[in-house]
Amino acid sequence: MELKRRSLLAAIGAGTAAAALSGCGTGTAASGSANGPAEGEITLLTPIFEGADGKTLLEKEILGGFRKKYPDVKVNVDYTTYLQLNEKITTGLAGGLLPDVMMMGVGWIPPFAAKKAIAELPEKFATAHDYEKRVLAPSRYDGRLYALPIVLDTRIVVYRKDHFAAAGIRKTPANWAELRAVAKQLTKDGRIGFDPFSIDLRQCWETFLFANGGQLFSADGKKVLFTDARGVEALQFFKDLVKDGSAVYAKKTDPLAPTNVQTGKASMMMTTSGLWKQVGDQAPDLIKDDKLGAFILANRKPAMLQGGTLVTQSASSKHPAAARALVEYLATPESILGAARQRGSVPGLKDLSDSSYVKENKFVDLSLQSMGDACSEGGTAAWMEIREKIKPTLEPAIVGGQSAKDAIAELGRLAEAAIGRM
Amino acid sequence: MGATSVLKARPARPARPPSPTGHTVAKKRTGRAPTGPGRRRQRAGMLMVAPALLHASLWIGLPVVASVVLAFTKYDVLTAPQFVGLDNFRELLGDAVFRKSIINTVVYTFFTVPFGMMLGLLVALALHTGLKAQGIFRTAVFIPQVTATVAIALVWLWIYNPGNGLLNALLSFVGIDGPAWLASTSWAMPSVILVGIWQGIGMKMLIYLAALQSLPKELYEAASVDGASKARQFFSITLPLLKPATFFVLITSMITAFQSFDQIYILTDGGPANSTTMMTYEIYKSAFREFRVGYACAQSLVLFVLLMGFTLVNRRIMGGTRGHN
Repeated sequence: MELKRRSLLAAIGAGTAAAALSGCGTGTAASGSANGPAEGEITLLTPIFEGADGKTLLEKEILGGFRKKYPDVKVNVDYTTYLQLNEKITTGLAGGLLPDVMMMGVGWIPPFAAKKAIAELPEKFATAHDYEKRVLAPSRYDGRLYALPIVLDTRIVVYRKDHFAAAGIRKTPANWAELRAVAKQLTKDGRIGFDPFSIDLRQCWETFLFANGGQLFSADGKKVLFTDARGVEALQFFKDLVKDGSAVYAKKTDPLAPTNVQTGKASMMMTTSGLWKQVGDQAPDLIKDDKLGAFILANRKPAMLQGGTLVTQSASSKHPAAARALVEYLATPESILGAARQRGSVPGLKDLSDSSYVKENKFVDLSLQSMGDACSEGGTAAWMEIREKIKPTLEPAIVGGQSAKDAIAELGRLAEAAIGRM
Repeated sequence: MGATSVLKARPARPARPPSPTGHTVAKKRTGRAPTGPGRRRQRAGMLMVAPALLHASLWIGLPVVASVVLAFTKYDVLTAPQFVGLDNFRELLGDAVFRKSIINTVVYTFFTVPFGMMLGLLVALALHTGLKAQGIFRTAVFIPQVTATVAIALVWLWIYNPGNGLLNALLSFVGIDGPAWLASTSWAMPSVILVGIWQGIGMKMLIYLAALQSLPKELYEAASVDGASKARQFFSITLPLLKPATFFVLITSMITAFQSFDQIYILTDGGPANSTTMMTYEIYKSAFREFRVGYACAQSLVLFVLLMGFTLVNRRIMGGTRGHN
């Protein structure tokens, strides 16, 4: 009797484990053909189109147009934020319920393409519109196209013209030595000269790395390149600014609150191209009085980080033709312009560079003029893991006593281990 | 009878009935299946337990077994799990951030649990003494417990805001320039601990209050007759009699503290420089942000072993929920 009970329990345990693991597959396989008729019910996962305005824009205007073109396709929208996007995708993958169409960040394509979670798109999509130089680079993996850009969000330096004028500074810094000197000069009466920390530390350091002539990874994404002197110098620059008192890690702008450069608590700050819209909403006088200027960070070379949102198609969609049609539609100039206007982002199409939206938004205009200096994060299949390590690994060098060299070396070790696991 | 005799009297536990042979009777196991009404009762019992058992097996047992198995695999959700033996655990040994998260979790627990218990007991005692408008106070203290942690954390985010937060505004009245509470490696953890203590008081208070209300009044009357002071009554009657409640509060508070996640997620994101990262937060990051589900399961297993160890140690020290009669 005892033995039987034990055997029964063991069988239940083994069965449970087997059942549990059998659920850990790779999701349902795609059915239907991407070249067939676009029909069926599909899901779109988006971290943008925030708030009521965004929802109206997406569901009424953009998807309204899509419905007219594809009446047999029903689109259900799943809204999320970039913070929760990973979580949504992970649970979707684990449960075999990956949305048919997903919006992702720059750098996300190689990891998902390498694992065959997203579908390759026809190359004709890349030439359907006149894209700005290098805009499509983050959409590719192994030379193949997997996504199309919706909007770009660039990282630029915004400064207060009135602070510069009051300090007798006539030109924007052309390299880090000048940037440090100007920041020091502008720091006074509780005001910091430069706020590089109000954007994510990862993206901030990357921008400095690129401006210093550095790279994150080799072209094949298998070798870590940021551990050389250029990466260390980029981090050391932050330490030097903090040492000078012209940058303070704790004085970051709270999310959605008026930024330090708006409130006058900082004279310069690293920020996104979306700041123009935010200032227009929160402090329009700054724009009216022409108090804000912007420039591209430069040291060994000028560099602007090109982030943004891309749209891609799940490899396991049950309605691949409908999903592909939606991807294509979301990347049309009409959809892109609407999304860019709503977020204050950069539209990556040359067709839109002369639009009134671009001409009225100085930061967007500067970004489009500087696309030749654009660099992007990612570039390795292990990016999803590495990107999470950057901020917590570099932070101890800025707020603790760790040296820049040690922090970069540690990050290099973690990145190499992550790439090794691929 | 003197005061000491009342206070020190510890009734013995009722002994097990002796067997006809003079030995203590152990569980009767005849190995024979019950017949007649006994069998019907057994079937009815099994039927009543079945839904709960099914639910527990499906929603608790299955995930637990799965996570134990997955702890020995490399699983990234995108591809099928791959058995890697003890690799995840080997890597955990060299993971400085996970080690830091264990230390942070222990520090957080070390401060939130005892201080929270003390405050919970004090509030319960205050309410037990017949405070006027007891219901209002009880509700006020309990509200943080039933409010979503995310909402609470957002309020604390404003309180701790170095620029226009409540705390620094209050400090500025007395001429103190408050720090950036959540952005400083020195202040972030104490700030998070304070939120943890504040949020946990309600539940602890409720359990202690229920326990206090069930204590026999005769002992206090006898102690008063014997001339025992209130303090003496508290230390010699109340505290010992609250031992089962204290054990329960201790274990549940420890588990809650070890599983703290929401406030870290909202308040600090584990930073600055990993100074507030916790085990659950690292598990979350590994699974949902880095797609390393196998590694996250190994981290979960470490958390489980630690919790189990602490619970057993506590049980040994405190004697479990067995109280005084």
